[in-house]
Amino acid sequence: MVTMKVLTENEKMEHFMERIENGDKIQADDWMPEEYRQTLIKLISMHGISEIMGALPEKEWVPKAPSLYRKLGIMAKVQDEMGHGQLLLRVAEDLMKPYGRTRGDLMQDLFDEDLKFHNVFHMETKTWADAGLIGWLVDGAAIITQTNMLDASYGPYAKALQRICAEEVFHAQHGEAIIMALAEGTDEQKAMVQDALNRWWPALLMFFGPPSKETTGTSKQEATIKYRIRKNTNEELRQSFLDKYIPRILSLSLTIPDSTLHYDDEKQLWSYQQPDWAEFKKIITNNGPKSQARLNLRRSSYQNNAWVREALSAVIQ
Amino acid sequence: MSNVEKMMSAEEKEALEALLFQLADDDFLFSFRASEWLGLAPHIEEDVASSSITQDTMGHAAMYYKLLEDLGLEKADDLAHLRSAEERKNSIITERVNGDGYYMDTPQYDWAYTVVRSYFYTQAKKVKIDSLRENCSYEPLVDLAIKINMELYYHAMHWKVWFEQLLSSTEEAKSRMVNAIELVVQDMGDLFSYGDQKEAIERFGLIGTEEELQEKWMEAMRPTFEKVGINLPEIPSPKLNGRNGQHTEELQTAIDTLSEVYRLDTATSW
Amino acid sequence: MSENTFYQEFEVFSKRTPTASYQHQFDLLAPNEDMALIMAQENFMRREPVVDIWVVNKKHIRSMNQEERLSLKRLDNKDYRTTKGYGYLRKKWREYEQGMLDEKEILSWAGGRKK
Repeated sequence: MVTMKVLTENEKMEHFMERIENGDKIQADDWMPEEYRQTLIKLISMHGISEIMGALPEKEWVPKAPSLYRKLGIMAKVQDEMGHGQLLLRVAEDLMKPYGRTRGDLMQDLFDEDLKFHNVFHMETKTWADAGLIGWLVDGAAIITQTNMLDASYGPYAKALQRICAEEVFHAQHGEAIIMALAEGTDEQKAMVQDALNRWWPALLMFFGPPSKETTGTSKQEATIKYRIRKNTNEELRQSFLDKYIPRILSLSLTIPDSTLHYDDEKQLWSYQQPDWAEFKKIITNNGPKSQARLNLRRSSYQNNAWVREALSAVIQ
Repeated sequence: MSNVEKMMSAEEKEALEALLFQLADDDFLFSFRASEWLGLAPHIEEDVASSSITQDTMGHAAMYYKLLEDLGLEKADDLAHLRSAEERKNSIITERVNGDGYYMDTPQYDWAYTVVRSYFYTQAKKVKIDSLRENCSYEPLVDLAIKINMELYYHAMHWKVWFEQLLSSTEEAKSRMVNAIELVVQDMGDLFSYGDQKEAIERFGLIGTEEELQEKWMEAMRPTFEKVGINLPEIPSPKLNGRNGQHTEELQTAIDTLSEVYRLDTATSW
Repeated sequence: MSENTFYQEFEVFSKRTPTASYQHQFDLLAPNEDMALIMAQENFMRREPVVDIWVVNKKHIRSMNQEERLSLKRLDNKDYRTTKGYGYLRKKWREYEQGMLDEKEILSWAGGRKK
């Protein structure tokens, strides 16, 4: 009987890739190559921290939501984002066990600006329509990337993603409900949505990441595809987003702020104006419009409450 | 209008509405303040758990406002969003900020204050809900109290565990908790009060008397205080009585924020 | 300053109905069982019915490693202990003009005898 102990590193790697190619799921305590572990840690910790940072632009609108039902709905949505952060951080924590790193270390990495979070969460939310747009199109974009990983080779991530994607369905509908009310409302309300869409459009395109390494100098997409964590490339996912959402946006009589946007029947692809990828790089290195403000909010709250975590450490049983 | 409402005198209806506003505004402001913690709680799992309590509580407020709407007043959203500070009947303790600073800036929110306020408020709410369930002469309010009671088990358990554990942990935690208790108690003077409506509310048998309920709260808290080795607080008489529309600046800032978008257009649908 | 997290991992189990099995949900960090318990439902079961919850400190769970999981594999040659191995009886009983007492039929007897 062959056990893992007698295999060489190369054989272990071969066996591992075979498992993945057979659709087998890797568990937290299975042997895995360093590159796989590192790729997952980077991906999942960024995903988890993004959920937690993502709560901050939306929470602005929780107290302000314009009805009891909307207050409750947006509260439930933001709660879910924190819940997603929790699920993902737990997955990342288990992967980091061999390095002795924990949740606190990830928070410190975030504050030291070593750990990045998604571009969309560095942007301003100016109006109630932004809150609706986030639920509709930002979560919409997240649904595209997250569903693409539902069959991820790493079991615990796939499991968390199942719960996350199920909850995203509610988020999308909550966002749609807000936008629909505005799109069917007064002229001011309609203008509010159009304005929000105009401001968010580039960020939505950027959400999927650069089309290739050449654009910004690095790309994680090759590793995540090789290891069957995701199925499609950044550009393919962006195209899926455009396929699914352009008809819906246009159906509400909204205008997409890109006059060059059109479907190329020959290439079977959307042709659009590239967002400013230099701007993207600036944003994700924490120089976006709200990057520092949000980091400060997260950091100050975390530090203020350190005494609570110390107190909890004293009641460990 | 139901049979019960047909039989109610104008005086009784006024007393009932006063009580409902107190209950609704209490839960609404309490949940408003709690919602400012979203994303900022000391521990992620707790952020998620306490958010449910906030939602439940706002749900309770919505149910009370709906009862008021059913009694012929304005629609629930208008009652929740448009009334001025002087028209609000919540207890002072529910309108107080969580700490210094604006919730989107770098607020200095105090978790000890939140735990104490939440625990004390939830126990007070339980005492009132029990009284409504057992005594209230207005059937729809009894039904509502039965529903609300169902969710209070979790709320009370949740905050009690936090209260006890923080008070049995580090010296720093204990000291912060003791300070928080002092601060919270200062503003509890009007929590059990019915304000100017006391006589009418009690006469019509809508709910137990102020004194009875405050005493019940003390008795309910006694075992916990003994367990953590702290003296039961003495609730002072109110300096400001929220039940009579006397409030702090903090209520105004709360109202400004929560009604900001609603006020853009109160006729349209959001 | 990086804090040490002294928290422990608690696995959360819940059951949907009184006769259902406890189902594993996810795990959370907490200093002790009581804290774990007050966070369990709202973290993982916000949108489903729950009639009971267990929280178990992960250190009390004897789990399997990758090697040991190999011991769980079996051959698929055990029709002798499933109804699949006795499907041929359906045709036989038809010859005797009788129906098949299969799983569907037998479990329907839970409804009891008509009075």
